[in-house]
Amino acid sequence: MSVYLDHAAATPLDPAVLAAMQPYFSEAFYNPSSPYAPAVAVRRDYEAAKGAIASTIGAKSGEITMTAGATESINLAFASGGGHIVTTVIEHQSVLAAAARADHTLVDVDKNGRVDPANIGAAIRPDTWLVSVALANNEIGTIQPLGKIAEIIKQIRDERLAAGNTTPLYLHSDASQGAGQLDMHVTRLGVDMLTLNAAKVYGPKQVGLLYAARTVRLSPQIVGGGQESGLRSGTENVAGVIGFAKALQQADEHRHSEVMRLSKLRDDLQKRLTDAFEDAVISGHHKYRLAGHLHISFPGLDAERLIFGLEARDVLVATGSACAANKGTRSHVLDAIGLEPSVADGSLRISLGKATNQAAIDLASEAIIAEVQREKERLAR
Amino acid sequence: MTRVFVGMSGGVDSSLTAALLKEQGYDVTGVYMKNWTQDLPGLKCPWADDLADAKRVAVQLGIDFEVFDFENEYKHKVVDYMIDEYKAGRTPNPDIMCNQEVKFRLFLDTALERGADMIATGHYASVENGVLKMAVDRNKDQTYFLYRVTGEALQKTLFPLGGYTKPEVRKMATERGLTTAAKPDSQGICFVGQIGIRDFLSEYVEQKPGNIVDKKTGKTVGHHDGAIFYTLGQRHGLDVGGGLPYYVVGKDMDKNEVYVSRDLQDESLWRHDVQLQEIHWINDAPVDGDYQIRIRHRAPLVTAQLTGDMLHIDEAQRAVAAGQSIVIYSGDVCLGGGIVV
Repeated sequence: MSVYLDHAAATPLDPAVLAAMQPYFSEAFYNPSSPYAPAVAVRRDYEAAKGAIASTIGAKSGEITMTAGATESINLAFASGGGHIVTTVIEHQSVLAAAARADHTLVDVDKNGRVDPANIGAAIRPDTWLVSVALANNEIGTIQPLGKIAEIIKQIRDERLAAGNTTPLYLHSDASQGAGQLDMHVTRLGVDMLTLNAAKVYGPKQVGLLYAARTVRLSPQIVGGGQESGLRSGTENVAGVIGFAKALQQADEHRHSEVMRLSKLRDDLQKRLTDAFEDAVISGHHKYRLAGHLHISFPGLDAERLIFGLEARDVLVATGSACAANKGTRSHVLDAIGLEPSVADGSLRISLGKATNQAAIDLASEAIIAEVQREKERLAR
Repeated sequence: MTRVFVGMSGGVDSSLTAALLKEQGYDVTGVYMKNWTQDLPGLKCPWADDLADAKRVAVQLGIDFEVFDFENEYKHKVVDYMIDEYKAGRTPNPDIMCNQEVKFRLFLDTALERGADMIATGHYASVENGVLKMAVDRNKDQTYFLYRVTGEALQKTLFPLGGYTKPEVRKMATERGLTTAAKPDSQGICFVGQIGIRDFLSEYVEQKPGNIVDKKTGKTVGHHDGAIFYTLGQRHGLDVGGGLPYYVVGKDMDKNEVYVSRDLQDESLWRHDVQLQEIHWINDAPVDGDYQIRIRHRAPLVTAQLTGDMLHIDEAQRAVAAGQSIVIYSGDVCLGGGIVV
């Protein structure tokens, strides 16, 4: 059995989630739009699942549009207005690509990957309609001060009203990386739109949602039979949504204890690696960082070699840089936090999850130390 | 310690090549040559996976690994050459051109610049003191593709697989636990192997409908979408139904006409005498006389008399197309060869 430490990329389907989904592939296969009783029962189950999801994040069922994943949710959110967009330089590619279709401003972050809410405020123009800031970064795990950003946006909204500017101003957050570790309550987060992804919380892939407060008017990108209140046509992914509801409920239930457990394991791993290699560089905010997230760079080493070497030792982690250096591109996130190329190229992203225990951390730290040592020796020859 | 740069494609042959050289005490650096990265309709170019496979093996062996980017040169020297030849109605061999221009020129020169003493590849061939010889595995022997390499380049080249059969190579790779041990063989250059030359050419040349004409009767028996897509001797792909199959016996690129025949003995299909151009000898030019020749990769060796640039083949050969290479051997030594006029 290999030690899997790449939960930021994908999580295994939880057995309870699978069990909840199973009937909807076979005996309860009916199209929720069909009129006969068994189909109506499926529709009720589907609506109940949506209701459960909504209540987990403190929203109303009608404010939730189910999608085929976070990327689609982001595309839907970004297509629902016209004008200027403000986001940060370290967003996920899906946000950056969606923003790039419009007039937009990318706000810088500090060396820990935190955005200064005042800089967001300063970037907002009279024609800005959307601000999008990920709750937590997928590469370095830094958590953003979303509450502060929401306050500033509210203030600007009030000023606009007073000045007679009727351009709406919404705050969207891609919270895909935070679910299961952070509070997802939309009112407490202060967001108008929120993107979530089932695949990151031990649910199925290709299932996501976009929360949009009733004040937001979404413009559908996939038209057809008018499902999801006309906002996202196509026969409902009943099993997927049932699974998402179960996954989200479980994640929320165990959130506090899981965060404690993961951060303890993560800190242990971090200490062992930094003790073994004094030149190792930790990225991400020391305090505002996802509990299961460790981004560590070994200057001068080639992360892709480390990945392959670790794979041979049955430890699966990600390169800290989303794209391999030999493809000619470096991570825009590591660039943005000012990591030197020689440091960035030697980065590992290690993300812990439900199945990670002390034994896994012991194995992983031994393997990483051995592999980094081996690479350093090769380079010293 | 002799420094060897090994061309690693991510396949089992070049993986084992690197492993064997390391065991033999060479200072080995693996190199992935990035020659082609473009996807084609319906086919994702596997270069990134191949590169990862090569690098994974390099890490496993604990050797240095580099990527040499030859995309530009490959496009100009190999792909453009290939397309131009087809446009001229000829049948080129891009693998031969790739060896001549890229692997045993550009790769060799770049490796030497970077401090290598020698290069190595996973070709099934042997080299002794700049002399190219057939591989022990006569079924896999790849000297046909190597006849345009220079003797000087071969002086600096190692072919560690020349003494092994393909099954032995797989077995040795498995014994060493190489991660590519069970990877399926690729066919020739990746982008053509998988989709076929016709689909590849379609990306670069426009379809040009024309007639398929029965050579004997002069009658139009069908239509084609470009004479460029047809090769001498070809049976498949002729959209003319009924009766005995037709074979391509010639074409006129200017008229955009393809000539076919149902006569398997048609004179244009069989040749005794061939004139060669762009003759290349790996070392010294041989004297006129009897030699063994090969008219395509893995074709059986046949006897021919060489007189200057002319070859007289004892046994008539089928479908010897202009543009294809004929390689000349003396015993197991590959002397060189030329391109059919």
